[in-house]
Amino acid sequence: MTSPTPFDLIVIGSGPAGQKAAIQGAKAGKRVALIEQTREVGGACVYQGTIPSKTLRESALQMVRFLQATEVFEFRMRDDVKITNLMTRLDRVVRAHGKFMKDQLTRNGIDCFHGRAGFVSDQEVRIQKIDGTSALVTAPIIIVATGSRPRVPDNIPIDHEHILDSDSILSLVYLPKSLTVLGGGVIASEYASIFALLGVQVTMVDTADRPLKFLDQELTDEFCEAFEKTGGHYRGGQKIDTVQWDGCSKVTTVLESGETLESEKVLVALGRVSNLEHLNLKATGIHPTTRGLIPVNNHCQTTVPHIYAVGDVIGPPSLASCSMEQGRRAVCHALGLNSGVAPEHIPMGIYTIPEMSSVGLSEQEATAKYGGATVGRARFHEIARGQISGMTNGLLKMVADPKGEQLLGIHIVGEGATELIHIGQMGLLHNMLIDRFIDNIFNFPTLAEAYRVAALDIAKQRQH
Amino acid sequence: MAHSTITPLAQEERETLRSFIADQLGRGNLDLPLLPVVANRVLLLSSDPDADASQLSSLIQQDQALAGQILRIANSPAYAPRTPIVSLQQAITWLGLTMLAGLAFSVSVQSGVFHTTGYEKEVRNLWRHALATGLFGKEIARRIRHNVENAFLCGLLHTIGKPAILHLLSQTPDKSAEPFSWITVESLFEEFHVMAGSKLAAVWQLPDPVQETIRYYQDDQYHQAISPTKGAMITCLAHHLASVILGDSTHDENSLLTLPVVQDLNFYPEDMTALLELRETVKASVECFLP
Ligand SMILES: Cc1cc2nc3c(=O)[nH]c(=O)nc-3n(C[C@H](O)[C@H](O)[C@H](O)COP(=O)(O)OP(=O)(O)OC[C@H]3O[C@@H](n4cnc5c(N)ncnc54)[C@H](O)[C@@H]3O)c2cc1C
Repeated sequence: MTSPTPFDLIVIGSGPAGQKAAIQGAKAGKRVALIEQTREVGGACVYQGTIPSKTLRESALQMVRFLQATEVFEFRMRDDVKITNLMTRLDRVVRAHGKFMKDQLTRNGIDCFHGRAGFVSDQEVRIQKIDGTSALVTAPIIIVATGSRPRVPDNIPIDHEHILDSDSILSLVYLPKSLTVLGGGVIASEYASIFALLGVQVTMVDTADRPLKFLDQELTDEFCEAFEKTGGHYRGGQKIDTVQWDGCSKVTTVLESGETLESEKVLVALGRVSNLEHLNLKATGIHPTTRGLIPVNNHCQTTVPHIYAVGDVIGPPSLASCSMEQGRRAVCHALGLNSGVAPEHIPMGIYTIPEMSSVGLSEQEATAKYGGATVGRARFHEIARGQISGMTNGLLKMVADPKGEQLLGIHIVGEGATELIHIGQMGLLHNMLIDRFIDNIFNFPTLAEAYRVAALDIAKQRQH
Repeated sequence: MAHSTITPLAQEERETLRSFIADQLGRGNLDLPLLPVVANRVLLLSSDPDADASQLSSLIQQDQALAGQILRIANSPAYAPRTPIVSLQQAITWLGLTMLAGLAFSVSVQSGVFHTTGYEKEVRNLWRHALATGLFGKEIARRIRHNVENAFLCGLLHTIGKPAILHLLSQTPDKSAEPFSWITVESLFEEFHVMAGSKLAAVWQLPDPVQETIRYYQDDQYHQAISPTKGAMITCLAHHLASVILGDSTHDENSLLTLPVVQDLNFYPEDMTALLELRETVKASVECFLP
């Protein structure tokens, strides 16, 4: 075998985390090798995660809006709109995004290798190519950004045909009549609400008494109400015993309570596991945690200081947005570059229907920290823009200190929530006082006005 | 299968048949058989999300021979039922709706749509190959998280143009009592089966991804397919795998690794090993459906 090709930096995995790490390295003038096991760059984010799920959601929303418009404009749409039509658009968006990412890497002079990476030592990596040959590369700094995949629970025989996971759900060619969604987290809630909107009879099952337990309850209450309006059901406090395809027409989910649920398809969204299996981590001396994650410090440095791990492979928050930033910062740290101020207020965006988003402290967290909290609310249907757009639900909840002066958190449910949140995020980053939202002018009519209305609600409570 | 060189006589015969088939396929009023009513309805039912087992079983019951074959398959050792299968409804539960719909379709097409007299053994082999392709297609689709049902149907029907050519050959004006040599027939398949299959698929209104697969399943063509279900690419590899395990391929298991489609599907050697490990299961299924 020939001697390994030397680089300044090796990045394993081309998802959001690896991509930003590689670009940061190249921008610092380093010779970077990026190794990706799939043919396309972009990772789960582009092919199974963020981009496809958001495109499907957008297509579903557009279809429903269009259907609503048929009433106003008195024309009819074909009854047999197929999910494949929605998926074709998805395929186009995914391809375009993949190409954009590939171009970006090429522009930055990054050497991209197609193959599976595994450590030979703490500075040397073997790339197993698809034709069975292999190559060696070496570098003084290595970034592991291999991401994650859906977890397969032992008691659930996922066959990707009737019992699907969040990757194979995208392979549906027609809409099932009914869908049981196992899980109550972000991915489960997003897909459950998309399919319910498309007219599928959806039942979500989870151990928690409400979905998305980490969010403010007022937000999830609004979500549940909207979900039920589209025919969805949430079955909380339930454990799954068995799931079985009857070989014919339905999947039976048996709950530990003895109750059975029948549906045409089942989506299993019960967490994710890190992609470690091909890495041969034992050659580096890094030991994964009991949950199968790579342990890292605040700089995403592993126990071997010149090996960093970023993105989903290190566990929560498992967001594309955070993964990118981790990738960039890890490389800055490794190269001794200034990476700027560490992000303080990371927003959480959940693309359910309706959207939910949150930044800063929740009412409960503020109460625990300051001994109390003042909360202001603005309902979208009370705001001109909300009325014009026919929004019947939607809430912006502003959390302030007990005196009602200092902004501490923003929680929004309703269309546009994931965009609107950034106003609140900027406010938090600049330690804004509640009155700044009252003293300033927002475009009219916009949903941003909700900030002013919520701030006024807080100010009103101050006077008493 | 015969692999001898073509004699001058055979060459002449080939040329005559070639221009006959080309002429037939070039015509607008192609005399291809209609899809039997049962097969057509089975196909429609299998892609109808509202279909259920009882609808399918009552449909199959309309065709005695078909119902008998289905029960025989469901009771065969490859599907090892725990208790004897005595009803169609039970057979559907045991074999699965999609699998059964595809089979019912192919059995009913085999047993009478095309005039293929004189080539019974060869036609049987064509269907065995098509079925193995469908079964491998399912497994490939499962691995790459693409639609499994769709992959099965695409594989099963990808070479439907071959029996269609035999059917056209049965209409040659100066047809002698002897069937044409298989080597001649194969060279006609090579040249015309995609065109014949595409025409037939259009007449029969087969689902779009199936039509696309028939047109583009070959090595140098699948890049032209645009359907996101990737039926053509999946079927291309499934076709090669089927050929290797049924012993009618110039490839061996190792040379499969170098096929461009293996790379395009991003299959590493271990993925191919896992697929090839299914060879006995696929063979057993083929044996039981088409012994
Ligand atoms: C359905 C769904 C919806 C989501 N929605 C959102 C959202 O709305 N917003 C958001 O911020 N996040 C969202 N996420 C999360 C987001 O997709 C992930 O957090 C993000 O993709 C993680 O990036 P990553 O770079 O760590 O890993 P990945 O994107 O998983 O990329 C890792 C890459 O490494 C490659 N790889 C693995 N092992 C090896 C190896 N040994 N050698 C070479 N290459 C290897 C993989 O092939 C892959 O391409 C969603 C996820 C899912 C599943």
